[in-house]
Amino acid sequence: MTTPLHVRPVTEADHLAFVRSRPSASFLQTPAWGQVKTEWRRESIGWFDDRDELVGAALVLYRQLPRLTRYLAYLPEGPLVDWESADLAAWLDPMVAHLRGQGAFGVRIGPPVVVRRWDTAAVKDGIADEGVRLLSEVPPTERSQVGARVVSQLHELGWRPQSVAGGFAAGQPQFVFQLPLRDAAGEPRSEDDLLKGMNQQWRRNIKKADKAGVEVTLGGPADLAAFHALYVHTAERDGFTPRPLSYFQKMQAALGAEEPDRFRLHLAHHEGDLVAATIAIRVGEHAWYSYGASSTEKRDVRGSNAVQWAMVRDALAAGAAVYDLRGITETLDGDDPHVGLIRFKVGTGGEAVELAGEWDLPVNRPLYAAFAAYLRRRGGSS
Amino acid sequence: MSLDLTVDGPRWRAHLERTAAEVPGLVPVCKGNGYGFGLGRLARKAQWLDDRAATAREADPDGPGAGRTPVDTIAVGTYDELAHVRTRFGGSLLVLTPWRPFGTAAETRDPRVVHTVSRLDDLEALLAQDPDARYVLERRTSMLRHGMDARDLWRAADLLRRPAARGGRGLEGVAFHLPLEQGSHLGEVQRLMTDVVAAGLPTTTVWASHLTHHELATLRTQYADYTWRPRVGTSLWLGDRSALSVTSTVLDAHPVERGDAFGYRSRTAPKAGHLLIVSGGTAHGIGLEAPTGESSVKARAAALARGGLDAVGFVRSPFSTDGKQRLFAEPPHMQASMLFLPAGARVPEVGEKVPVRVRYTTTTFDRVVVS
Repeated sequence: MTTPLHVRPVTEADHLAFVRSRPSASFLQTPAWGQVKTEWRRESIGWFDDRDELVGAALVLYRQLPRLTRYLAYLPEGPLVDWESADLAAWLDPMVAHLRGQGAFGVRIGPPVVVRRWDTAAVKDGIADEGVRLLSEVPPTERSQVGARVVSQLHELGWRPQSVAGGFAAGQPQFVFQLPLRDAAGEPRSEDDLLKGMNQQWRRNIKKADKAGVEVTLGGPADLAAFHALYVHTAERDGFTPRPLSYFQKMQAALGAEEPDRFRLHLAHHEGDLVAATIAIRVGEHAWYSYGASSTEKRDVRGSNAVQWAMVRDALAAGAAVYDLRGITETLDGDDPHVGLIRFKVGTGGEAVELAGEWDLPVNRPLYAAFAAYLRRRGGSS
Repeated sequence: MSLDLTVDGPRWRAHLERTAAEVPGLVPVCKGNGYGFGLGRLARKAQWLDDRAATAREADPDGPGAGRTPVDTIAVGTYDELAHVRTRFGGSLLVLTPWRPFGTAAETRDPRVVHTVSRLDDLEALLAQDPDARYVLERRTSMLRHGMDARDLWRAADLLRRPAARGGRGLEGVAFHLPLEQGSHLGEVQRLMTDVVAAGLPTTTVWASHLTHHELATLRTQYADYTWRPRVGTSLWLGDRSALSVTSTVLDAHPVERGDAFGYRSRTAPKAGHLLIVSGGTAHGIGLEAPTGESSVKARAAALARGGLDAVGFVRSPFSTDGKQRLFAEPPHMQASMLFLPAGARVPEVGEKVPVRVRYTTTTFDRVVVS
């Protein structure tokens, strides 16, 4: 069995050093992300082996229960530990003990491990097949033994899966769309190869934007207001609640302070008009498309495709292995409005990826049950 | 003179064929008393189903029968049952009772037999005894009867990588024995399948029981990269009850007055009527109390009333005349039963057949007549 591991708080500097020592980590597990989430108490914790070396780390966000000094300890897309271990209890038990000591009534984790993958062809077949409603109904291109072992062990250890069928209701999405930037041999793909992998519409739109003279540039803090104005416009059009400008300012400041190119604002202009703008985030080899906005006018100049392509090229140039378009719903049902999002993402030639999802461990059962009931009343969103 | 099971042959065979066509990969279960038909007859019928499938595929390669999968395996309950089916069915013989390093199991070396292995120690012992053995690994389900847990499957995968295990070449799949339907099995099977994926075993075949058609269809799409082998017993052999009828023969009838003594225990008749002696007794399983599978109080009371031997008064028997279930006059004898027919009821002729309600899995018939 594994030698005993110890968990204790670490400084944000040590936490960041550990993140940097790894090929990649979720940006939700960086110390900077804790600074963005100011409404939650945060703590950086580390795992130490018998030689007192740091072998794992996590960002913990403590969400307070109304009127009580008890917390849900939330480790979004984390912790950063050895998920290939056959003895996850050795990693998770000391973590839970520490969090209980901090007043946690429950713990929520999101193991960053892949369970299944579906390549472009498999997803397209699923969308085309009238009888198929969900990704799960399509045979995956790959099943991950590591992912299955994590799920199997979490069940064994009493953790409870939090996935909500179909939608975005749970915290972080269980299904995401990723564009691999390296080939099977691990070599970086060429821009040509990436373009070839895209569907005709994507290629045409990228070309169209180029011909129309759309220019994509990187923006600094001064440009954030312009992004935000377009983002609010997009929110009104697409019917979601926008976050305030201050949230993005915090993100830019915190993430930007951690690594110079962790937070990238991309702006697509056409003849002086801002037609699309996005925020990309990168941690090591993993690059995310995080937020996007587009104008309603001048859609025919295809600013959105141009800015996506710029982000892909940017990630490739930075040596990233994965360009992550983040959440999709599991639906492949042609009548579901979410299917449009998958169609758009599938056009990049990437793959749908199922992660292990979010898991809860009740530490104090009555309080956890009360919290679960509270969430159900609020409609399940956390 | 006998307790007979009469089978409407065309109807029964049509049901068997329909089931085989609806359930690809079907593994007929032939165990115990052979569901009343006898093990030998079921084994022959399974062979017949395989022959029919082959004929259907050959006759019309593009027709509806072309999709029928061969019936290449049957399942028996125990090693001792193998003798009844071995010569009557030509394919593989899956034994459901887990292999143990003792008894008939340990003495069985037959390339047609597929063992069920439910403990790591047994896997090692079996391979030590017979490196060429064919076997499935049983994953424990919510039934908690036999089987390995998730960790055991990982260890089994490690063990099978050793040269002595021939790299797991004898492994023919993973087996689940699911409880009877209580809501959907899908959640449980998905969890069990996660454990199978996690183990990384060198197989993609799953043998499972008690899945509905719908559940199987869902699993076949979700796990299209796996081969599903549904083991089916009751719903295959007994799925069309209207094709089956059970009859007893009236052997004698005697008038009695109130107060007349009769029977082994010299009971007295409570009122005037007839004693009816019919074939079928404890040797056939008549009057023995068997769990019905239903758990409501009413169902249990009904079972007791039908067969309870220790009841003091007259209890209801499974025999009926003129559409009425008759009372036992005393507990059934070994070969025959004594019924009480109240005055006014028609007295059947000696030699007349009367219907009997039985549990097929606990009844031994004197004759099985298939038309």
